[in-house]
Amino acid sequence: MSENPKSFRYTAEHEWIELRGDIARVGITDFAQAALGDIVYVQLPTIGQSIKAGAVCGEVESTKSVSEIYAPVDGKILQVNELLNSQPELINSDPYNQGWLFEISAPNAEIFEKLLSSDSYGEITKH
Amino acid sequence: MESPLLLIHQSLNAKLGDFAGWAMPLEYPAPVGGGTLAEHEAVRTSVGIFDVSHLGKIEINGAGAKDWLNSIITNDLNKILPGQAQYSMLCNEDGGVIDDLIVYLKSDEAILIIPNAANSADVFGTLNNNFPQGIKIQNRHNDFAVIALQGPSSAQVLADAGLPVELNYMSFTEVDFLNEKMIICRTGYSGEHGYELLPTSGSAVKLWELLTKEVLSHDGKICGLGARDTLRTEMGYPLHGHELSLEISPVTAGSSWAVGWQKNRYTGSDRLHEEKVKGSARTLRGLLADERGIPRAGMQVKNSLGAVIGEVTSGTFSPTLKNGIALALIDSAIGIGEQVFVDIRGRNLAMSLTKLPFVSSHVRE
Repeated sequence: MSENPKSFRYTAEHEWIELRGDIARVGITDFAQAALGDIVYVQLPTIGQSIKAGAVCGEVESTKSVSEIYAPVDGKILQVNELLNSQPELINSDPYNQGWLFEISAPNAEIFEKLLSSDSYGEITKH
Repeated sequence: MESPLLLIHQSLNAKLGDFAGWAMPLEYPAPVGGGTLAEHEAVRTSVGIFDVSHLGKIEINGAGAKDWLNSIITNDLNKILPGQAQYSMLCNEDGGVIDDLIVYLKSDEAILIIPNAANSADVFGTLNNNFPQGIKIQNRHNDFAVIALQGPSSAQVLADAGLPVELNYMSFTEVDFLNEKMIICRTGYSGEHGYELLPTSGSAVKLWELLTKEVLSHDGKICGLGARDTLRTEMGYPLHGHELSLEISPVTAGSSWAVGWQKNRYTGSDRLHEEKVKGSARTLRGLLADERGIPRAGMQVKNSLGAVIGEVTSGTFSPTLKNGIALALIDSAIGIGEQVFVDIRGRNLAMSLTKLPFVSSHVRE
């Protein structure tokens, strides 16, 4: 199991968000990938699409089930991880790095800080 | 009810799921398993071991047991000899399938049937409803475990464990294991050369330990029911509740081969003969995705004009083909090679009707 990076923020829907200057990178957490099992298909949002926090903006599928991806914050899709189209298993093997899903225009610091810290997220996923 | 192997699965940190009230393994973490894809691949290339103890076990004993059962189920028990097993179905009078099952013919007076876990009580209830004098029906659901050993190296694993392997497809033998009787049958649900073993619940742990040690030393894996489902879907094998049900007859499901058309009456025979002559409106077909996407059970199948022509009964990602596959009940007029569209939450996935199985069968090799 990978540790939840301390500098990231998290949502109760098991997404992470990482600030990288004026963009934010989004993915699903290690807890989420482990619960889903082998990921075999990813439906990513469209570059340029504007999304609202909480809206469905993609899908992650394992052999057995489908899980929706929710936008963690408002913003515009700037980039998607095209590598996942051919290697969706990167979400399983490296959820916080190579397995990122999309990049979005960064939220302001206040909104970012309001998301769950790594400790708070760790609490809600404790067995 | 629980498998006698449940504590072992928990100690291996298996991901468990509910199957008809039984907590059964879906997949195991590496190194013994490695998730559905790795476990699936092990069965196709080396060997996998599965606990399928949730399957039902019903014994029918007494004079005339074979003839009586043959007057109820669809397939013809006169086509097999003692020591052989047969795939068959229990239908209702409407030709709907109460369950599909494996019948082990020990002798004309002693039979074991293996129904699905979820339907075991219904099968037992149906048989128990109206049996003649001299026949005894016992529900042995908790008395035996069922361990499936599947894959090209399964014979080597059994041989190295000191167990008999020289069995023809769908034949079985009874051996002594820890001074208790155990059935070993050349059968399975994966499309590979394989065996199912039925130790008593009391000896199941010892057998599991013996076999898993050999499996792991043959580059095999301990596999969960997740891989069992992707394996059977690649073979186009029906699963009750999906491809077969009270509403889906064996004729519609393409399982006519499991019906003894030459034999006398059995439950549902009039309706099945009628449907065979008339033809069924929908037929079970295999669909292979022409683009990226994964169909799922319950999704609508449409033609190029958008008209609904069928429904997906099972759908998954084929680990062997690395592609979306589905079994679907589709308008019988549509033939192999034609393209259809599966409505995936509003997106149309192009798929083509494909001859089943999706992956070649090796059960008889």
